[in-house]
Amino acid sequence: MQPIVEMHHIKKEYRLGETRIEALKDISLTIYKGDFVAVWGPSGSGKSTLCNLMGLTDSHSEGTIMFKGVDILSMSDDERSEMRNRYLGFIFQNFNLIPVLSALDNVTLPLLIKGDFEKTSMRSAQILLSDLGIGDYIHHRPHKLSGGQQQRVAIARALITDPDLIIADEPTANLDSENALKIIDLMRKINSTKGTTFVFSTHDQRLLDRVNRQIQLQDGYIFNDVTNPATAESDVHSNNTHTG
Amino acid sequence: MVSSKQMVWLKFSLANLFRNGRRSFYTILAIAIGYAAINVFGGFTSYIFTNLKDSFIYSQANGHLTVFKEGFLTEGRLDPTKYLISHDEYARIENICKNIPEIVILSPQLSIMGLISNGEVSSIFVGKGKIPSRVKFIQKKATGMIGNLQLFKGKALEDEVMFGVGLTNGLSDKLGLDIGSNGIAMASTVDGRVNALDLEIFLRYDVPVEELNDKVMAVPLQFAQALYDTKSIDGMTILLNKDSNVPIVKEELQAKFKENTLNLEIKTWQELSHFYRKVKDMFNIIFIFIFIIVFTIVVTSIINTLSMSVMERTQEIGTLRALGLKRKGIIGLFALESAMLGIAGSFTGILISIASWMLIKLLEPEWMPPNYVIKIPLEISLVPAYLAWTLIFLVVLSTIVSVIPARKAAHKSIVDALGHV
Repeated sequence: MQPIVEMHHIKKEYRLGETRIEALKDISLTIYKGDFVAVWGPSGSGKSTLCNLMGLTDSHSEGTIMFKGVDILSMSDDERSEMRNRYLGFIFQNFNLIPVLSALDNVTLPLLIKGDFEKTSMRSAQILLSDLGIGDYIHHRPHKLSGGQQQRVAIARALITDPDLIIADEPTANLDSENALKIIDLMRKINSTKGTTFVFSTHDQRLLDRVNRQIQLQDGYIFNDVTNPATAESDVHSNNTHTG
Repeated sequence: MVSSKQMVWLKFSLANLFRNGRRSFYTILAIAIGYAAINVFGGFTSYIFTNLKDSFIYSQANGHLTVFKEGFLTEGRLDPTKYLISHDEYARIENICKNIPEIVILSPQLSIMGLISNGEVSSIFVGKGKIPSRVKFIQKKATGMIGNLQLFKGKALEDEVMFGVGLTNGLSDKLGLDIGSNGIAMASTVDGRVNALDLEIFLRYDVPVEELNDKVMAVPLQFAQALYDTKSIDGMTILLNKDSNVPIVKEELQAKFKENTLNLEIKTWQELSHFYRKVKDMFNIIFIFIFIIVFTIVVTSIINTLSMSVMERTQEIGTLRALGLKRKGIIGLFALESAMLGIAGSFTGILISIASWMLIKLLEPEWMPPNYVIKIPLEISLVPAYLAWTLIFLVVLSTIVSVIPARKAAHKSIVDALGHV
């Protein structure tokens, strides 16, 4: 199994006014290529912080995080930006689409940032949007799209660079049940057909039921890291099963 | 050539400006008014400078260069006769000048001072004797507004009529000598004897300096030489084909005078026109004040607009950073937006400047500038160099100023920015 993210004894502290908060306490885990993982737990358990660290959008206080074999503390801000652009995709709870850009331009944005924007980029984005079922809305701006359609655009944006890992922060939180299930199935399909790795931060039981691996956090610790028997193939994560 | 990638960034930046159209509009308007203020004022000063220059060179027939005996301007006031250019020297100078194609005409002159009388009372006068036909030739070379102005009443002085002179209106009124009247001029000759000549008033005119308007007399060179009983002159004005040739011709003449052992000095029109220099200095100071005001307005408008934009788009900045845009990319994005504000403001400013220029052309207002005694048409010039430089300056300024809020945006924590509502 090829590891993408390896975390060893991670601690994350931050200050809120005068108060020092320990969001993560001694976290060790590995995310492998092809994983379809949910990080779950009550509010304040450290889910988002963990995802932020995996997504290279935040820095840890102690421990080591290796991303594709490179210690992220050794990287400059620009190098982390490049890593995020090349190897990571992000799906946000509020979709976070750029309101002044069309669906198509939103999807090609990571390529534009990468400097790989060619005429063929538009064609690739169109195909991707069509594959995700919103081919008729490519020139629509986000405010003209429904929540489900916006999240599909966000998924297309996350996929356009063919990343190794997609971090999805509560991707179904702002969707109705029907759209939430469709989005979950869509991501599941991408995971199984393209082998794209997904890490979710979620409260959504429907999503938890469909992931291969569930990492439960509580008070900044991994309380449980288990394979979901309902979905997992025989022994994919047997070695990772951890009870905190 | 703008690549398709750059086009998308441009499109993105442009779209961002329309997010809060009203705010962008007012920022563009502030830049445009600043642009127009600089250019309308710059155009007005250009009109003033051009007219002062033309007035000195052409109307007053002082030419571009004036040749004096070395020391005339510093020591000559005490003993002018020591610094006269002899007839022989004049001929040699004329000979040298013939071989310089940039020189259009030479005009010899002799400064005089003395008393002028109407037979009952007398008054002091100062004046210059010049050859009327050459003065007329120089005046005819004026282009623009100055060339169209009739600056005297009466008939022009003539080479052949030695006793026909011109008086300033103040002097004319003081002595009651109107056009056609006769008077007497008295002065010491170069030998120190008293001399007197009859004269007839041919014309009345005004000089640009009010205090001199009751003291100045214009006379033919022949009259001045007869009054001083000399064939010499004390200066020779030189008109060139182009203003820009002043330094090269001055240099060439200096070399040739030295070669011919002529002890002469050459002064440019700028060196001799103290009034022009003072006015220019004054307008430059006013321009600095206007410039500082415009600078402040533009800088504060842009910083305010972009700071508001950064605040409103904090989550979007977090998203762009998460997608891999580097800090310098965020700064570049805001700089591009700011540059577009600068470009839009400057082009609107060009339109306002042109509209102001057209309005003044249409209304044809008149005014009396300081030290003028007649009303002249008010104009503003559209100076392409000013227009271009102001555009470049404001676009560059807009871009540079944007770095302050843009850096703030770029250095936000991604997590905090994403969590910003």
